[in-house]
Amino acid sequence: MRPTGPTLTAHVIAAALLHAAVVVGMVTGLAAGARAETLVVAAVETPKGFDGDALKPATQNVVTQVYEGLTKYAYKKDEQGRTVIDGSRVVPHLAESWTVSEDGRTYVFKLRRGVRSPFGNELTAEDVVWGWEKSFAQKRTGNFIARVSSVAKVDAVSRYEVKFTLEAPSLIFLRALTLYTPGIYDSTEMKKHATPADPWALKWLEGHTAGFGAYHLESLRAGEAAVFVANPNYFKGKPFFDRVVYREVPSAASRVTLLKAGQVQWTEALTLKQVVDLRKDPRVKVESDEATGHASVRMNARYAPFDDVRVRRALLYAADYDALNEAVFEGLGTQARSIVPPIIEGHDGSAWTYKTDVAKAKRLLAESGHPDGIDLTLEYSDIFWWEEPLAIQLKGQLGRAGIRAQLKRITSSEMRSRTAPGKRDLPFFTFQDNPIVLDPVYALFINAHAEGASNRNDYRNLEFDRLVDLARVEQDRDRRNDLVRRAQRLHVEDATWVMTLYPGAHEAMARCIEGYVWQPDYHERWAELRCRK
Amino acid sequence: MTIRRFLIRRLVLAAPLLVGVALLTFMLVRVGGQDPVGLLAGPTADAAEIAAIRADLGLDRPVWEQFGIYLARVVRGDLGASWLSNRPVLDDIVDRLPVTLELLLAGVGAGALVGVLVGLHAAFHPGGRFDHVSRVVSLVGFSIPTYWLGLVAIFVCFYLLGWAPAPLGRIDIALSPPPRVTGSYVIDALVALDLRAARSAMAHLALPAAVLAIIAAAPVVKQTRAIALAALSSDFVRHARASGLGTGAIRRMVLRNSVTPIVTFIGSELISLFGTSSLIELVFAWGGLGQYGLNAILSGDFTAVQGYVLSIALFSLLVFAVVDLLVAVCEPRAGLT
Repeated sequence: MRPTGPTLTAHVIAAALLHAAVVVGMVTGLAAGARAETLVVAAVETPKGFDGDALKPATQNVVTQVYEGLTKYAYKKDEQGRTVIDGSRVVPHLAESWTVSEDGRTYVFKLRRGVRSPFGNELTAEDVVWGWEKSFAQKRTGNFIARVSSVAKVDAVSRYEVKFTLEAPSLIFLRALTLYTPGIYDSTEMKKHATPADPWALKWLEGHTAGFGAYHLESLRAGEAAVFVANPNYFKGKPFFDRVVYREVPSAASRVTLLKAGQVQWTEALTLKQVVDLRKDPRVKVESDEATGHASVRMNARYAPFDDVRVRRALLYAADYDALNEAVFEGLGTQARSIVPPIIEGHDGSAWTYKTDVAKAKRLLAESGHPDGIDLTLEYSDIFWWEEPLAIQLKGQLGRAGIRAQLKRITSSEMRSRTAPGKRDLPFFTFQDNPIVLDPVYALFINAHAEGASNRNDYRNLEFDRLVDLARVEQDRDRRNDLVRRAQRLHVEDATWVMTLYPGAHEAMARCIEGYVWQPDYHERWAELRCRK
Repeated sequence: MTIRRFLIRRLVLAAPLLVGVALLTFMLVRVGGQDPVGLLAGPTADAAEIAAIRADLGLDRPVWEQFGIYLARVVRGDLGASWLSNRPVLDDIVDRLPVTLELLLAGVGAGALVGVLVGLHAAFHPGGRFDHVSRVVSLVGFSIPTYWLGLVAIFVCFYLLGWAPAPLGRIDIALSPPPRVTGSYVIDALVALDLRAARSAMAHLALPAAVLAIIAAAPVVKQTRAIALAALSSDFVRHARASGLGTGAIRRMVLRNSVTPIVTFIGSELISLFGTSSLIELVFAWGGLGQYGLNAILSGDFTAVQGYVLSIALFSLLVFAVVDLLVAVCEPRAGLT
């Protein structure tokens, strides 16, 4: 008798079909999984904190991906057709629009609706107020930004309207709002982690983020990696990379090797020698921009012999800028002629006349009472890769004019602390500052005003300060640019900086990466990157 | 002396030693010109903000007072918080020590094994081709800078030949680390029966451990050879030879008499390579205590540096205690002191 149930063959076929379905399902699942794109960044170190008000190593690199501003710089195409920042134009970002009062002291921003954090909370005026109050209370980086942009008060007018009251009109203000600090936090989430002793949830912020930007921190393994994932509610839509692994690779040589081998798609902190090598590698793409960082050697006029302007000028004439560019910056640098970088509107390098002239340097030295030359100590650290090679080259160049420079390497923390406000006791040293706001008054103020945070050589000139103070509140563009030009001229004439070169910003990435645009904080925006395979 | 008395004695002796190390480190980091305040304050801080941070860290107090506070905390098991990450230093050390030990024990273990075998073979055939080659190779091992050897190993084994995985830490980026039991990914993955993770962890360990093994083996070869040669030319071996003992028996005698100095030497190697391994960790992005200590030193993170040095001191004491125990086992006449 034949069995009435399914035959063995039918069982086998059914099992095979089921198996095939499972396999197909698995493959489909895998394919779906494979669509998740990961960007691996070879970083110098994992962030030591995620609070934009208290910058620690690598903090800035990542908070710029999490906290976005009410405004942003417009983009434009340069002569080569590359997309670049238009520092002269600021456009709405988390804000939809704004109005400004006639006296230029009150701004009301209308917030974009439907902007949500990864926690699902919608951006409101309260979030903006909370972030600014946090900065005011902490009195750190955000507070400095508030101070230079003259912000006195921030109030919520309605759920979607926020009002900024300025102490004085400021052209820096709208540019300052492009920054990640004072940050716009998801205050609903932040408040959950606040305590009476820690009202700004700073403890929680050591290992978490809560912004309205494109990414947020998923996990942190200190010393290994910080993993970021895309904000599923990001108002500009899903970025190309769903995940970013910010991997600590402390050795620069290893970072380069990993990039060449395709194991990482982005590297940080390369030397120009590595940049030149990588430019020849077909598997790697290198993007270069003039940027704002200025490799300088600074003299503190409070210390002899730098109290004599003739000695300072002698140093400027003795330096050979072309040779420095070739020997230290691989020929990639741009000659610096002002403390306002050329990419910032208002830059004027016309006052700079210190073309290399050893005979003139010797003459100036003799006039200043040093006919037999002079002995100096040049202190440098390893904060910037170029410091030591530049110091070595400069020593040789100065020697030709009878300026005998002894080189002294100090630690990076010593360099930072001894050039910080309140101390500033290094007579002759190397440093690089990058004005983070693309505004000439900001650059002048931070680098050389008596109250400037980066006035590391303690430059004091009352007339310079007066011009900068006037420019800070001047609303007329031409008059402001005139003040800015006069301040630059004064600074160059006082010759307290051996302005060497702008080394430029050079980023190396996997060949497939597109969408990179240089930012004034020198940190790429992961949300703008994509990989064209 | 019984083992218990020996351990108690060591513990008692360790206390003043650790206080001394703590004091020395505390003072050295402070007179070394390091000042993390500038770094912590950021580029925009003014004098008042810097003073506030200084006061917050207690740096405005007299150094002796600072040390007193620090020591009182250390005694309670609190090594303070890292000035940069704010994480408790003890947590960082507990997290990272096993990571370094995994690399150190694998590297020095392999290096010592190879070094002893090669050294003994060279000593038993002095003046032969093997002896000459081993001496040259060990000299090369001595002379190569650790950092450079690491970079070359990566370039050849990962970049050119593709034998080793990317020098991106201890496990493949796509894999999740195994649940923490010991802190060693290899052991933890095996405990969790996660063979994929175990394979990846072992593959990642192989190259840095091999580099460390090369660095470790060179002095062990030289030392073992010298120790064994000294034993071979001693009176008791001459007597044994004269008494007609065979080569095998003589070699066993030499081995037995060489064990004590060799074990002692390997112990001191283990301690000295604890510091050296930080360079290998740096090149391979290993993420252990060495990398942590190096970072802390470079950035002037005083509490982290102090914790790092204290843990090295503690590790050294532990290794010496273990070595003394091993010596007592191998050479009962020496006893425990």
